[in-house]
Amino acid sequence: MLETVQLTKAFKGKTVVDEVELYLDQGESVGLLGPNGAGKSTTISMISSLLKPTSGDVKLNQKSTIKNPVDLRKVLGVVPQEIALYEELSAYENLKFFGRIYRVPKSELESRIQDTLEIVGLKERQKDLIKTFSGGMKRRVNIATALLHNPKILILDEPTVGIDPQSRNYILEMVRQLNEQKGTTVLYTSHYMEEVEQLCNRVYIMDHGKVIAKGTKSELLSILSNEDTISVQPNRIDEEFLAAVKEIEGVRKVEVSGEEINIIAKKASNIVSELVNVGERHQVQILNFQMENPSLENVFLHLTGRTLRD
Amino acid sequence: MMPVFLAQLAKDRRSPALIILFIVGSVLATVLFTGGTQAPVTVQIFSEEEQTEEIEAKWEQLLNQEGNMEFVVTEEEEARDNVRQGRSDLAIKLFEDDYEIVTSSNLPTVQYVDQHVRTVFEREARIQVATEEASNPEELRQEIKSQLEDPLFAMEVESTTGEELSAHDMGIQLMYAFTLLVAMFIIGFRVNNVSKDKVDCIWDRVILSPVGKTSMYTGYIAYAFFIGFVQTVIVLMVFNYVLQYDLGERFDLLVVVVAVFTFSMVSIAMLFTGIVKGPEQFYALYPSVIPLIPLISGAYMMPGTITHPVMTFIGDLFPVSHAIEAMIGVTLYDATWQDITQPIIIMILIGVVSMGIGINLVERRRG
Repeated sequence: MLETVQLTKAFKGKTVVDEVELYLDQGESVGLLGPNGAGKSTTISMISSLLKPTSGDVKLNQKSTIKNPVDLRKVLGVVPQEIALYEELSAYENLKFFGRIYRVPKSELESRIQDTLEIVGLKERQKDLIKTFSGGMKRRVNIATALLHNPKILILDEPTVGIDPQSRNYILEMVRQLNEQKGTTVLYTSHYMEEVEQLCNRVYIMDHGKVIAKGTKSELLSILSNEDTISVQPNRIDEEFLAAVKEIEGVRKVEVSGEEINIIAKKASNIVSELVNVGERHQVQILNFQMENPSLENVFLHLTGRTLRD
Repeated sequence: MMPVFLAQLAKDRRSPALIILFIVGSVLATVLFTGGTQAPVTVQIFSEEEQTEEIEAKWEQLLNQEGNMEFVVTEEEEARDNVRQGRSDLAIKLFEDDYEIVTSSNLPTVQYVDQHVRTVFEREARIQVATEEASNPEELRQEIKSQLEDPLFAMEVESTTGEELSAHDMGIQLMYAFTLLVAMFIIGFRVNNVSKDKVDCIWDRVILSPVGKTSMYTGYIAYAFFIGFVQTVIVLMVFNYVLQYDLGERFDLLVVVVAVFTFSMVSIAMLFTGIVKGPEQFYALYPSVIPLIPLISGAYMMPGTITHPVMTFIGDLFPVSHAIEAMIGVTLYDATWQDITQPIIIMILIGVVSMGIGINLVERRRG
């Protein structure tokens, strides 16, 4: 349905998106995962025709959209990372404005506004000004404005940034329902691995402007099939101890996360007993020890040596 | 275009305080700074010469003979103190054949009063020269006075259109200057919505809709024009119909001049939006620059006060001087369509050029 071909963008000689290739099939929910600054928003801006690529192409049903994005824009709903609403107007007035610019027929506008408000759960607050809304409610109206013209493809750029867990869950559930019940194709970007895991059939992982891994969740996790993910909680963490852990045979990645150390090591290596030995040698007591099922976070750590929130 | 226009209108309908404030401010500023053309201005006069009482009595009588100002003899210390404390804009120190203005400000009232006092002193100087050699000066003075009132030859001064030439009314000019100044502010703030909506990403959303860029710009420009035009016309109507200012017979021509001025000013504001980096910079710079434009254009001064060619050139680059020229023409000199064609064409030209460059710069800033 929608695909990018070697999509590249450079600003002042610096390449921020480098030959990105991704595709979305109809009805799919695809995640674009990566840390801040990975190039996700720039990729989305190019896909949605807001930004012209330096090279490469964006195709809708095999047809290039770079020179003539009209057809693409008709089927596209874009939810930007920023709250792009008139704060001085009510939720209803904002929806009316966006409905008008998307040329929703006059006879249908009112019912579409009410339906959309129902979807985002703000029907009761429609007359209230946006500036009186909480962050989560603003995010929901931000999404609602992109749904008014019944888009076939919905692109959401980090729609849960800076909101409370309750609103976040509401939004995730709403996107899931749009995808499953209405058949809307979804491209969802986030640096929250758990959101993408929860929502998406397929995932692209981006870092430094490149797609470094892609596939279904199980395909991505299979990257770690020859490795174990171990979480260790010692009574103290010092440089010498960490250096010694990295020296253990079979250890591939070591990452400190708060009071814990996440270790990715080759499967079947004798990591447990070696860790205890290293701890004794450096007078470090192992308080807790856990073998974990690998997650996309671990995959990212494995591929880049960094966590998503670095 | 209409959705963008209606959204801007809805925003102002939600919080109309700014618009109302500007309308009231415009009227108040004029009344405050000019003292109102209908209300007399009270000016304190004093003398420090030897024959103080004689000089004061003479000039008090002559200065009060005509005009809508009231000259009152006051103690020197009191008059100076009033100026120093800001209770009076000015006082006049009288000499036998001359005067000095005591002031601590450069308010338009000062020039307004100066104009009247100078006229009286010059006329009196001419009469004195004529009576100096006379055997009976007092008799000659009375004769001159009666002949001036009933001259042997009546001289009529006509304007180029054949109409009677009216005296320049500084009060009306200041009223127009303040009205246009306030309009420039409101127009600028509304044009800046283009920049504000871009920063807020609303612009991006509109770009993704079927609304074309031309429609988007037209929506913002049309709204800025609408609000600036309506505000200015309301203020002029208040002066004309409520405060009973005499704005001439052709209110329709004034409305046309206001419309062209508003278009031209919307374009200047668009140019400004294109030059600055963002809405915040606009809010910081625009209010600093705009008050200078009427000043450079000589809008607060008698025509012909600014003679420096560079200053007049800079003043002519902005629509204010042309708008005031046309409006004064309509109000004081009964100008017709033909008479105001030139300033109107110049304003349209300024508008077209500024709009072209402005939109181009705004587009380049899109990155």
